[in-house]
Amino acid sequence: MDTMHALGQGFAGAMTIPHLWWALAGVTLGTAVGVLPGIGPAMTVALLLPVTFTLDPLSAFIMFGGIYYGAMYGGSTTSILLSTPGETASMITAIDGHMMARQGRASAALATAAVGSFVAGTLATIALSFTAPLLASVALRFGPAEYFVLSIVAFTAITGVIGTSVVRGLISLFLGLLLGLIGIDPLTGVARFSLGLPQLLDGIDVMILVIGLFAVGETLFQAWRHGRDEPHVVPLHDFSGMSREDWRRSWKPWLRGTAIGFPLGVLPCGGAEIPTFLSYMVEKRISKHPEEFGRGAIEGVAGPEAANNASAAGVLVPLLTLGLPSSATAAVLLTAFQQYGLQPGPLLFAARPDLVWTLIASLYLGNVMLLVLNLPLARMWARIMLVPRSLLFASILVMASIGTYSLNRSVLDLILLYAVGAIGCAMRVYNIPLAPAALGLILGPMAEQHFRRAVAIAEGDYFVFLSRPLSATLVIVAAILLCAPLWLRRRATASP
Amino acid sequence: MVRSLTLLLALGASAVAKPVDADPMYAHLRIIAPAGPGGGWDQTARAMQQVLQQSDIVETASVENIPGAAGTIGLARLLGAERGKGDVTMVSGLIMLGAIASYHSPVTLRDVTPIARLTGEYEVVVVPAASPYRTLTDLLDAFRARPESIAWAGGSAGGTDQILAGLIADAVGVSPRRVNYVAFAGGGESMAAVLGGQVTAGISGLGEFAPQIAAGTVRVLAISSDARLPDVQAPTLREQGVEVVLENWRSLVGPPGMGVEDRARLDRAVAAMVSSTAWQQMLRRYGWSDRYLAGAAFARFVLDEEARVASILDKLGVVAAPTAGPASVGFYPIFVLAGFALCVISLTLSAVGARRDADRSPLDRAAADAEDRPSQFRAVSLIALGIAMNVLLLERAGFVVASVPLFWLTARAFDGQHPRRDVIVAVALSLGTYLLFARLLQVSLPAGVLAPWL
Repeated sequence: MDTMHALGQGFAGAMTIPHLWWALAGVTLGTAVGVLPGIGPAMTVALLLPVTFTLDPLSAFIMFGGIYYGAMYGGSTTSILLSTPGETASMITAIDGHMMARQGRASAALATAAVGSFVAGTLATIALSFTAPLLASVALRFGPAEYFVLSIVAFTAITGVIGTSVVRGLISLFLGLLLGLIGIDPLTGVARFSLGLPQLLDGIDVMILVIGLFAVGETLFQAWRHGRDEPHVVPLHDFSGMSREDWRRSWKPWLRGTAIGFPLGVLPCGGAEIPTFLSYMVEKRISKHPEEFGRGAIEGVAGPEAANNASAAGVLVPLLTLGLPSSATAAVLLTAFQQYGLQPGPLLFAARPDLVWTLIASLYLGNVMLLVLNLPLARMWARIMLVPRSLLFASILVMASIGTYSLNRSVLDLILLYAVGAIGCAMRVYNIPLAPAALGLILGPMAEQHFRRAVAIAEGDYFVFLSRPLSATLVIVAAILLCAPLWLRRRATASP
Repeated sequence: MVRSLTLLLALGASAVAKPVDADPMYAHLRIIAPAGPGGGWDQTARAMQQVLQQSDIVETASVENIPGAAGTIGLARLLGAERGKGDVTMVSGLIMLGAIASYHSPVTLRDVTPIARLTGEYEVVVVPAASPYRTLTDLLDAFRARPESIAWAGGSAGGTDQILAGLIADAVGVSPRRVNYVAFAGGGESMAAVLGGQVTAGISGLGEFAPQIAAGTVRVLAISSDARLPDVQAPTLREQGVEVVLENWRSLVGPPGMGVEDRARLDRAVAAMVSSTAWQQMLRRYGWSDRYLAGAAFARFVLDEEARVASILDKLGVVAAPTAGPASVGFYPIFVLAGFALCVISLTLSAVGARRDADRSPLDRAAADAEDRPSQFRAVSLIALGIAMNVLLLERAGFVVASVPLFWLTARAFDGQHPRRDVIVAVALSLGTYLLFARLLQVSLPAGVLAPWL
């Protein structure tokens, strides 16, 4: 009842005209930066910090919350239309979303992403309001051993994106793992495979790999395969949004995506990409038409987009209750709290309940605004698919180059981008799936580091993963997840 | 959308602009933060930006983030592209010295123009609230008895946190190589490990743990300052018999080859900044102490710190991680390389087998079909030419000049019919994108030869 009362107070605070205006400005700006590749929400909030300093903290945080949620909505737009993810968390959307767009169903794909983001964002914000302190204390019980087992579970997501040939999928995965090796080993400070180039010491940015493989690789592949010949008859474009059938197929993935995304967002181990991969795998596993995945299945857009937004809300749980930043944006938000002389941490809820609850209330309102903003935009954006092929691909390359260059302002990154693009094109030619490489690059370093940390803390005992109760439980869950589908398939083939 | 962006930024700009009463020393000052947004160097740069503008020392200031390799990428940029410029300064500090030493960086802090040390932040040793160790003595007794049993969490290897762990070990007569130091990627991760009791103790900057100390979720055993601080209830390392003082200082440097006047102007601007009330407020807000030290004294200080850091990193050696077995630094790369090689071999074998085999699987047949289809060399070479020009021209001639040929040649690859229309679109799109990113979003992009007009 206390929570309800506090939340009511928060809504009262957020429902003033200036606060609503700042929320609207935030979500608009957030959507815009989400659409642009290379400029993430972290960068935007950092850029706006000095500008907003003359505002009262409440207005500033309402705007920052809007930017944060808005960027998660906007990231999917370029993924679907141009196969160029605006944020790494929406790269899995590029697979089926872009296929839908090429079949003339861009509007439906964008709409399911927007509604899915709204459903997930709202449900996750409700979970944030009512269970935050409890969840945060559970999250703290996860140590390196648990995170290692968790990343192994996440590796099973590869089965969702591996394609039809296991060897080809594994080549892609190992390519990603290989690229993930480059750079300083954070545990010892030893540089590995950096070829003596200082620019490679921090490793290869996931954005470069994703934009290179998906955007540049796709452009080169289309040129290589079709050149000036129009590849196929342009399908009839449908700008009406989601059909009844689309709704029927989308609502369950939205809910499942939320259930996967929110808890993983709460865990302070970073990475909004993992829940999207897991959601995609789950949707493919339980779908009655797994063969449609990769060819424009709407579930492959609805699930991951919901997971993405739910995890974004999850990240706020450790940030608001413990002062723990578990993503780059959260770290910048933490700085913003400090700039306003607020102590982010366990005492924030007690010290400034007005601020926290108004912020949370404004997240609800921001979600509604984003839905209102993005549904009409979806129809507008979808018309981009009517632009001639030549101009579309040329714009993709220019956007890819500016997105990559603005990451670190390094020409070497640009060269890497095009090199990765060439690899991506070759992979397409030889039917090697692209997504496992991205999965490998993200998960590989994570799994390795947590493994070594866990063993170091346990003074070299490799059985630490089985002797800790929580990690042992996770091992059992992982084993079930891995073996159940095999067993089910065997039973299905045994009794046709 | 663009309109609301402009509106928003205009609103912000009007709020920041102040009536000019004194003549600002700079029309525009560029501050380089050699790290991503959110970290200590970025915070320092943005705090400076704000104070310099508010107190009318500069008319406008901008912050450029050049992240990478603990600041040494930014340092290399300062020594290269920024050489001799008078309107640029870069944030630097103790961590950069550690990085220079441990990565054997070809560029060092001796090569730049030293300006001043600005702030300092002390380090704290903390344990979880439920820890059995009540005092530093308890912890160090257990540490002396069996060093490996104490897992210390902190920031990345070679950083201030690990240096402090090494200094403490050295001071109590344990070889720094035996410190079981567990490096975490960010402050958040290491804090989570301490709060959750995953490790025995944690080392971090005071600012990061101050809220947790205030809330009583962690217990502070020691602080690395010379004497007790007024607002932190923590005993120093020295008063508990560990002769170690360590401060994570942050400073400002200028590019090499600065003119005498340029340097004097920057010195004056920094001196005016640190004496302003706005700067003092900023220090309190972040919990930094004022450690302003300029000129030759600062240059000497850097040399002393460099020697100290090099010596402790030398003693730490390659960290006391296992040198063999699955948890060593070299195991995982071998695993990945072997796995990759295996996959490539098996794919090659199956491809060769399939070619001989009359009864191909549908998938291999599809792949073979793909190889047989005519490929468009002309289209790909046009794009490759565009890419090459883009890479070569970007920093030499600017973003707009580099993007036009990329756009036009790519369009040529897919369409032979509208060369003139495509030129117009190429110029319009490149210019529009440049203005959107560089003017509206303040992302610095090379303007190149068009700089006078943009």
